[in-house]
Amino acid sequence: MNTTRALLYLLLLAAVLALPAVAGPFWTGLATQVYVFGLLALSVDLLLAHTGLFSLCHASFFAVSAYTVAILQTRHGLPTIAAAPAGLAAGTMLAMIFGIAVRTRGVYFILITIALGFVVWGVAYRWSSFTGGDNGVTNVPFPAIGPAAITTHTQYYYLVVAVIVACGIGYTVLVSSPFGLGLRGIKASETRMRSLGYRTGLHLYWAFVISGLVASLAGVLYVYYNRFVNPVTGSFQISVEAALMAIVGGTGTLLGPFLGSAVVLGLRNWVSSFFELHLMVMGLVFICTVLWAPEGLVGLVRRLDIWRRLRRDAS
Amino acid sequence: MTEAPAVQVDALSKAFGGLRAVDGVSLTVAPGERRVLIGPNGAGKTTLFHCIFGTLPASSGRVLLHGHDVTSLPDHQRAALGMARTFQISDVFAELTLAENLTLAIIGTDRRKWSMLRRVPRFPAVREAALEGLRKVGLAARADEPVQRISYGERRQLEFALALCTGAQVILLDEPCAGLSQSERQRISAMVAELPRDITVLMIEHDMDVALALADRVTVLHRGAVLLEGSPAEVRADPQVHEVYFGHA
Repeated sequence: MNTTRALLYLLLLAAVLALPAVAGPFWTGLATQVYVFGLLALSVDLLLAHTGLFSLCHASFFAVSAYTVAILQTRHGLPTIAAAPAGLAAGTMLAMIFGIAVRTRGVYFILITIALGFVVWGVAYRWSSFTGGDNGVTNVPFPAIGPAAITTHTQYYYLVVAVIVACGIGYTVLVSSPFGLGLRGIKASETRMRSLGYRTGLHLYWAFVISGLVASLAGVLYVYYNRFVNPVTGSFQISVEAALMAIVGGTGTLLGPFLGSAVVLGLRNWVSSFFELHLMVMGLVFICTVLWAPEGLVGLVRRLDIWRRLRRDAS
Repeated sequence: MTEAPAVQVDALSKAFGGLRAVDGVSLTVAPGERRVLIGPNGAGKTTLFHCIFGTLPASSGRVLLHGHDVTSLPDHQRAALGMARTFQISDVFAELTLAENLTLAIIGTDRRKWSMLRRVPRFPAVREAALEGLRKVGLAARADEPVQRISYGERRQLEFALALCTGAQVILLDEPCAGLSQSERQRISAMVAELPRDITVLMIEHDMDVALALADRVTVLHRGAVLLEGSPAEVRADPQVHEVYFGHA
């Protein structure tokens, strides 16, 4: 079982690494986007699947880190080695402030995160002297650290893959660490966890901050790919889409958010080429997922696997 | 005065609106004592437990743990000071395995719960302690099964094991035998009886025979107040207790 899984991951990695050589620049670009938004979806899912908190403000961390990088690089001429960590820090610091939302639960948490998200979007949209308003910040260069500079989209693709793989390993360790187990305990029964000596609010707060850190990292990767950033990046729609990706792909899994990202972005690219109301199609996909595959694509695959095994046992 | 009492409750009251569920209860439990709380339904036993443990804040009065005033501390800090409790309705982590349940109890009061960079299996001492905890309640063979697959009675045993594994010196057991069959009751009461004497036990129990067999002293609650406190024999002989507990003969 474990060897098949390892083999599967290796095959997947080989396919991912071979993609730029096999497919053209269009697919390479789309795949880069899928990975970046998959990472954002993973950060949302870290809260959703492991603590039960449904955040709708993750576009804020994503956007704040993207804006920070863009402004530092284009207006102040800072090199990547300073701008990228600054972006990461800015998004994470925002998460440390927004983390007060964990004082609430359930629908109140959702409402508060929506409100916080709109604050960031409003600032990006209205404070045009600083953020560039509707136009945003443009002409972000490719990242370069000293002589090691990215010059093509293919090179950037591999950089993103490397970061995603590192994040995947980090995620796997985190969710199976004592801290990660504690989060699942809180999701299952908060009163019981408190009675065992856990200050559950603090656990959730740090989970929120770590999740914000991952979203910020996605923001940094995004701005260097996209080369510009505008208020849409921090909009409610992006927060919802990230959650949607996690749910469509399968919450609580490493691959789920990335699969969901591929489905959502792939469909949007394809459908919007011939149908103006592509958001309607996205809505339908979401409804179908909730009705017939509540555990997402990964859950669906797992269920099919069980069926196949049952059939084999029967014959 | 030689040793501070393990648990001391001073004039504790808890009101829900106009209802005084616990009304001026005082009791003192010596270290190592087995104290059983009995009383008819609605006597305020579970509410008193909630207030002693901090699950609910008290309206007035004080709670002292080994001589320290813990009245203003939240439940998780009281747990860190060496108190543990079980719940009347099993509150175990249904989606986790039995071993994971106990792991959470074992690391709950130490710094390992914050560890983020090492997987749980890489804490062999914790695993060993979890298996030992399961062995004590006879569930070691099912360590890696999810809780969803074990029976109601086994959940009660797991609930008990969770409290034990915290390493607490004071354990509050809220009807550990609730809803169990006769043989399961006997198993749980044997486990309580076998607890080492450096652990202080406060227990709510409806079954008079179980209660009176385990107790060093018994407190009878009625309408939120202490009706009587005494040895099991005294309680058994008291006509007042018979009246509130069994009704008029």
